[in-house]
Amino acid sequence: MKKLKSRARKRADKTNSPVEAVTPAETAAPPSPVPAAPASGRISLGAACTIHEAQALRAHMLEQAALPGPHEIDGTEVQHIDTAGVQLMLAFALDSLERGIPYRWKGRSPALEEAIRVLGVGALLESPG
Amino acid sequence: MSLDLAQFHETFFAESFEALDAMEGALLKLSAGDADLELVNTIFRVAHSIKGGSATFGFSDIAAFTHTLETLLDQLRAGKRRVDSALVDTLLRSCDLMRAMLGATQSKQSLDPAQVAALHAEIELIMSISDDAPAPLSAPAAASVSVPTAAAAETRGGWRIHFVPGAELLRHGNDPVRILRELATLGPCEVRVDAMRVPPLAELDPEVCRLSWRIELNAPVPESAIRGVFDWVTGECDLNLEAVGQAALEAVPTPAAAAAPTPEIPPVIEAIPAKAPAAAPAPAEESAQAKSAAPSVGDGGSIRVGIEKIDELLNSVGELVITQSVLSQLAAPLEGHAADELRSALGQLERHMRNLQESVMRVRMLPISTVFNRFPRLVRDLGQRLGKKIELRLTGDSTELDKTVLEKIGDPLVHLVRNAIDHGIEMPEQRLAAGKAAHGVIELSAYHKGGNVVVEVIDDGGGLKRDRILAKARERGLVGPDEELAEDRIFNLIFAPGFSTADVVSDVSGRGVGMDVVKRNINELGGYVQIHSTPGKGSMVRIRLPLTLAILDGQLARVGEEVYVVPIVSIVETIQVRSEQVSSIANRAQVFRLRDDYLPIVRLYELFGVEPQHTDLLDGLLMIVEADGRRVGLFVDELMSQQQVVIKSLETNFRPVMGLAGATMLGDGRVALILDVPGIISRAQSQEPRRDSSQQAA
Repeated sequence: MKKLKSRARKRADKTNSPVEAVTPAETAAPPSPVPAAPASGRISLGAACTIHEAQALRAHMLEQAALPGPHEIDGTEVQHIDTAGVQLMLAFALDSLERGIPYRWKGRSPALEEAIRVLGVGALLESPG
Repeated sequence: MSLDLAQFHETFFAESFEALDAMEGALLKLSAGDADLELVNTIFRVAHSIKGGSATFGFSDIAAFTHTLETLLDQLRAGKRRVDSALVDTLLRSCDLMRAMLGATQSKQSLDPAQVAALHAEIELIMSISDDAPAPLSAPAAASVSVPTAAAAETRGGWRIHFVPGAELLRHGNDPVRILRELATLGPCEVRVDAMRVPPLAELDPEVCRLSWRIELNAPVPESAIRGVFDWVTGECDLNLEAVGQAALEAVPTPAAAAAPTPEIPPVIEAIPAKAPAAAPAPAEESAQAKSAAPSVGDGGSIRVGIEKIDELLNSVGELVITQSVLSQLAAPLEGHAADELRSALGQLERHMRNLQESVMRVRMLPISTVFNRFPRLVRDLGQRLGKKIELRLTGDSTELDKTVLEKIGDPLVHLVRNAIDHGIEMPEQRLAAGKAAHGVIELSAYHKGGNVVVEVIDDGGGLKRDRILAKARERGLVGPDEELAEDRIFNLIFAPGFSTADVVSDVSGRGVGMDVVKRNINELGGYVQIHSTPGKGSMVRIRLPLTLAILDGQLARVGEEVYVVPIVSIVETIQVRSEQVSSIANRAQVFRLRDDYLPIVRLYELFGVEPQHTDLLDGLLMIVEADGRRVGLFVDELMSQQQVVIKSLETNFRPVMGLAGATMLGDGRVALILDVPGIISRAQSQEPRRDSSQQAA
C-alpha cells in the first residue's frame, strides 16, 4: 500500500492538481507528446477493451511491459471500452510511472477519449515522459 | 461462507420476464425518428438488469448477448443513433430472443446457438455502421461534462458524491463509465478518481474494480435523482452524498433550515451509509450478490411472494370462516346476558373475518394489463404480416382479476384478437371501398359488472357472415336443413369444434381449431362468451368472468337432507311451478314453459341419487339457471340462505364428479356440493335428442 501511495503522491505532484476538471475541448486535445524514441513494447488495444477482453489484454500488456521502454500504446481502434479496460491502462501507467519507463500514446479513439474523460483519469494517463 | 445463488434463479427469471414485457411495451411506443429518452432508458435498464443478473448467476450466453445489446442501446441513449422502424424490429427480435434464452435456461434446455449468433452478428453490424444524423432525444442529451468554477458547488448549490464501487461491481455487469456518464446528464461534474487501491498490473485482477471517485455535481438536483443514477449498484457500492449550497437547503427541509434565507449557511452534510460494505472483500461480495439477487424487498413498497403461500393463507382464512360460522350456529340457541354478549362478539368476528377474507383475496388480484400488454406487439406484427393497418385501443387495463383467472384468459384472448385481425379487419383497399378508414380498429376493454369482470374484443371489420355460417353448419350437420336459429345461436356456431368458414387456411387462423378451445377455457373458468356482430360494421366478443375462482357467491338449496350451492351468477329466477306450465314429452322427460320458451327440467335428486322431500314439481321450487345462453330449470325442495363459500376442489380432495364444480363446508360443519351449472345444462341438452329418438322408436 505504501508503494501505491507513493505512486499516487508522485502522480499528484506531477499533475499539479488532484482535480480532474474536464471539458470536451480539453479532451479533444491530443495527448501530450513524448520525445520520439523507438518503442520496444507495443500495446495495441484493439476494438474492444471491456471486461470480456480484460484478461487477454492484461496478459498482452504484461508481455509488452517486460520489453525495454519506452513503450507505445495504440488506442486508435478502440470502439468499446468500459471501466475494466480503463483500469488496466491505469495499472500499466502507474507501473510505468513507478519504474520510470516512459510510454507514449500512438493515438486514442473518440470512444477511448470519452471513457477517459468520464472517469476522470486523463491526468493519470499522461505519459511520464 | 458460500451462498447458493440457485435459490434466487426463479426470482431472477420472473423479474426478467416482467422486465422484458416492459421493454417490449417501451419499444412499441418508440416511433421512428421520435426517440424519447425515458423510453430508451427504460429499454436500456432492462437489458442492463438482465445482463447483470445473468453475469451474477453465470448465464454467460445471456450476459454476452445482452452486453452487446446494451452497447447498442447505449448509443441510442447518447443520441448517437437514430431510432427507425428497422432498429425497433431488431430490438423487438432481441427481446424475443432474450425471452427464449431465459426460458431455455430456466427449463435447463439449450437454445440453437446459431439463432443467437445470427442476431448477435446483426447487432454488431448495426453498431459498426455509423449513423451520421442521429435524431435528437427529447430530453437532455447524454454525457456532457463541463468545467464549472471552483466555487460553483458552493454558490449555486450541488452535491459532493463519494462513490466506491464494490469489488464485484464490474463482474455483475455494471460499469462506472455508464454511471458517471448518466450522472453528468444531471449537471456539470468535476470527477476525481482515486487509483490508490490499484495494485501493480501483475497483481491486478482486471475484473475487480479498484477505483473510486469523488465527484462534485454542480447542480441543485434532488437527492433522488442522484440515487436514481446509482440505483443499479445499490448494495454493490459505498455511496455518500453531501449536499452543498442550495441543494443542502433543499435536502434538509427542517424549520431552522427553511428559516435561513441565504445560501451562506454552513453546508449540511448528510452521510448516507451504503447498504452493503461493498468495498470490503469476500463477505461483502456475498452480501452484495444476495442483495442484488434476492427477491426485491421494500424498494417499491412491495414484496414478491409465491402464489402457493397466498393460497395457503386463503385456505386458512376459509377454514376460519367455517369455524366462525360453526360458532355462530352454536351460539344461536343460547340465552341470557352472556349469550347476547357472545353473539355480539361473534358478529364482530364475522365482520373482521369478511375484511380479512377480502384482503387476502385482493392480494391475489392483478390488473388485466398483465394480459393486455402482449397485444400491442401481437397486433403490430400480425398487421404487418397480413398487410393490414390496425390501431389497437386498450381500455380498463387496470381492472383487477384473480391471478389464476388472468393466467387462463391470456390464450383465449390471443386467439380472439388473432381471429379479429385475420378474419375481421379487411384489407385497406377493401375498407376504403366500403367507405371506412384504411386502418381498422381493434378494441380490448375490461370492466367490472355485477361482481364479474367483462372483457370485450371489438373490431370494426366486416362482421360475421351469418348466411355463410349457417350454410356451413347445415353442411356439417350441426343444424337441420329446415331448422331456423336465432341470430345469436347462429353466431355461437363458430364455437363448435372444427368449425371454420375461412376460404384459406393460414398459419394465423382458419383451421377451425381454437374457437371451441376458447369457449371451453372460458367455461372452465366459470365464465361465458357472447358474440354480437353486424355485417359491414364489425363484431364484438364479450367474455364474462368471475372475479376469483376461490370464493363464490352462492345460493344454498336443499334437496332432501342434502344442501347444494348454486352460483348466484347463474341464477335467472326462481319460481313456484303451476301445473299448466309443465308438459311431458317422453317417458318422464318434462319441459317447463317459461313465457315463450320451453326449458328442460333437471331434478337434482335424480341427478345425484338422493332422497328428496318432494317429487311433485308443484310442491318444490324451480330455479331457472343459465349458461352459454342456454337455460334449464333445476328442481329443488327449498331455497335457503345466500352466502359466500370457499371453493374446495373435488379433483384435489376426491375425484371429478359430473355436474359438480366443487364442495364447501357449511357453518354447521356439513359439506355442501357446488353445482357446475354449464355441465348440468350440457348434459340436460345432450339427453334431449336421445329422448326424442326413443320416442320415435316407440
